[in-house]
Amino acid sequence: MSRITIARALAVSAVLAMPPVASAQTADCAGLSVPADIVDCVDRIMRGESSQGISTMEVSTEHWSRAMEMQMWSLGTDHALVRILSPRKDAGTATLKAGNEIWNYLPRVDRTIKIPASLMSASWMGSHFTNDDLVKESRLIEDYEITLAYEGDRDGVDVWEFDLIPRPEAPVVWGRIAYQVRKHDTMPVFARYYDEDGVLVRTMTFFDYRELGGRLVPAAMRVVPEDKPGEYTEVRYSELEFDVDLDEDYFSLRRLRDTR
Amino acid sequence: MKGAWWRIGWRNLGRNRRRTLITAIGLALGYLAVVVMAGLSRGLVSEMIDNGTGMLTGQLQVFAEDYLPDRGIYETIGGREGVDVEALVARVASDPNVSAATPRVYAGGLVSTGRATAAGVILGVDPEREALVSRLLSHIDEGRAPTPGQYEIVIGREMARQLDAGPGDEVVVVAPGADGSLGNDLFIVSGIFTTTITALDLGHAVAPIEVVQELVALAHGRIHEIAARVDDPWAADAAAAAVAVLVEGESEPVAVRPWTEFRPEMVEYARLVSSMEWMLIVFVFGMAIWGVANTMLMSSYERRREFAVLLALGGGPRFIVRSVLAEALVLGALALAAGLAVTLPILAWWKAAPPDMSWVYGGFTMAGGLMRPILRVEWPTSMIFITAGAMFVTAIAAALYPAYRSSRVPPADTLAGR
Repeated sequence: MSRITIARALAVSAVLAMPPVASAQTADCAGLSVPADIVDCVDRIMRGESSQGISTMEVSTEHWSRAMEMQMWSLGTDHALVRILSPRKDAGTATLKAGNEIWNYLPRVDRTIKIPASLMSASWMGSHFTNDDLVKESRLIEDYEITLAYEGDRDGVDVWEFDLIPRPEAPVVWGRIAYQVRKHDTMPVFARYYDEDGVLVRTMTFFDYRELGGRLVPAAMRVVPEDKPGEYTEVRYSELEFDVDLDEDYFSLRRLRDTR
Repeated sequence: MKGAWWRIGWRNLGRNRRRTLITAIGLALGYLAVVVMAGLSRGLVSEMIDNGTGMLTGQLQVFAEDYLPDRGIYETIGGREGVDVEALVARVASDPNVSAATPRVYAGGLVSTGRATAAGVILGVDPEREALVSRLLSHIDEGRAPTPGQYEIVIGREMARQLDAGPGDEVVVVAPGADGSLGNDLFIVSGIFTTTITALDLGHAVAPIEVVQELVALAHGRIHEIAARVDDPWAADAAAAAVAVLVEGESEPVAVRPWTEFRPEMVEYARLVSSMEWMLIVFVFGMAIWGVANTMLMSSYERRREFAVLLALGGGPRFIVRSVLAEALVLGALALAAGLAVTLPILAWWKAAPPDMSWVYGGFTMAGGLMRPILRVEWPTSMIFITAGAMFVTAIAAALYPAYRSSRVPPADTLAGR
């Protein structure tokens, strides 16, 4: 059975790393000029100290389309909890990430199961997010050498385009990432992911930039796999709060099972 | 007159019985070596094919044309509508070469005890029919096969070790459904199988087909594969062609694949082994030919005076050549009789009771199939005849030069003792 199918069972995990979970440091990236600093700053917007939000994930594949509403909480890059609110069939299914461990709660059988780190690959529930989106705990600057590939006008918008090449020892699946960031508000525009042979594998686009929880964030993002151009996964945030009162104890197995 | 040549040949062999016996034994042992080696190598190939295809895949597979290579969960036979599974299985099984057929559903998922989780293929089968097609369930060495309709699962030994689970334990099985949902249910481990093939022992779990369909949101008419058993693996190609005709007319295109297509490396290996049989003949009889030639040379040298008399009486060189070749042919016939008398009983005994070699080596996997530590032989029917032919050719070829020499004996000088 294909690796992808197996990994699809990795469940709710993929949502964990789905940006944007805004950071306490806001988008104060103005004035930065070193490529690595800019990318790191944008990267940190997409991660968080603590946040809470509600989002909808829409997955469209050749065979089916479905939308799931999810509530999520996060603390730093190490702790997150995601609970599916709808559809009814999956409601209550939850994933907890605490440090290096990932647990799923399956309300139908009322059991929690631990997802081994070795199985963290490929996509989840047929969505086009990969494991790399999900368990990534390190920051982009730790895994990639970042260079400025282009600076200037693209479709009337002043942008930077960065080339991210993985460091030799970095545990990442991509061969290269091309990352475009708008200059005036340091909002990400797209990230193109290439494999080790330099072939474009998927494109992630950010849009619907607006204020949520008092911060400017891309409220929506869409992933399109290159080999299946008709398919996509889109995540839209409807609510987002920052600097909420959460501590590590919140992210417990007991909380994971708490379906309220 | 014809019979006279054979009589002369036969009687000449009797002139030096010990020498004749040694030569015939040499040829007979060559025959024994070639035929037994051919039987052994065919046994090895059969063992490989039997285990490579008999453990799980079957010798024939029927599935939706789009199923491969991705093995998508949605690519069921008959598409979204599915098929009348029983009718289709019956059609596949109606081919005379097919001895059994069984429906299967494949899902990729997780098996978890909570603390420990393993990923693998969840195979949905009809346990009774599956046992007629594949041997996986017969390798259950703890517990039993799952009961149809029950949420029971059989897992591989290595997966059981990783999960620290045994018969009677409860596990959660999680697998993405065909509708995009996350199927999950509680199963009781009913048994553990040990094949020693890591991919199976670590990455496979087997549950009743209807339960797996429920888990991954597939209707009962939706299956991924019909696996079939073809008793003579070499008839699988013909069976595939016949079954392809039998399953024609389905709403969605159906593909039929014999093992020779999905395990081409085993076909290549069988070809390699077959070509080595010929090399064996060349080596063994290539060596034997010198021994026989030596005997024939000595024998014909001793008969120089006899040949000289024959020539002096007007017998002609052809007469001599025929005489020597007849002797070689009779020697070949003697050796063949001896060879058959030794080889056939040995092969029959060997096939009936293949020696257990586990004291020398353990079971191992070859081309993905488990090889038992036994020396299995198959009847190398074609080689029994081909080797017999090769032996006669050897005897004749070895006699050609001595025959030629004998026909050139100068009668006057020889008779004069010069």
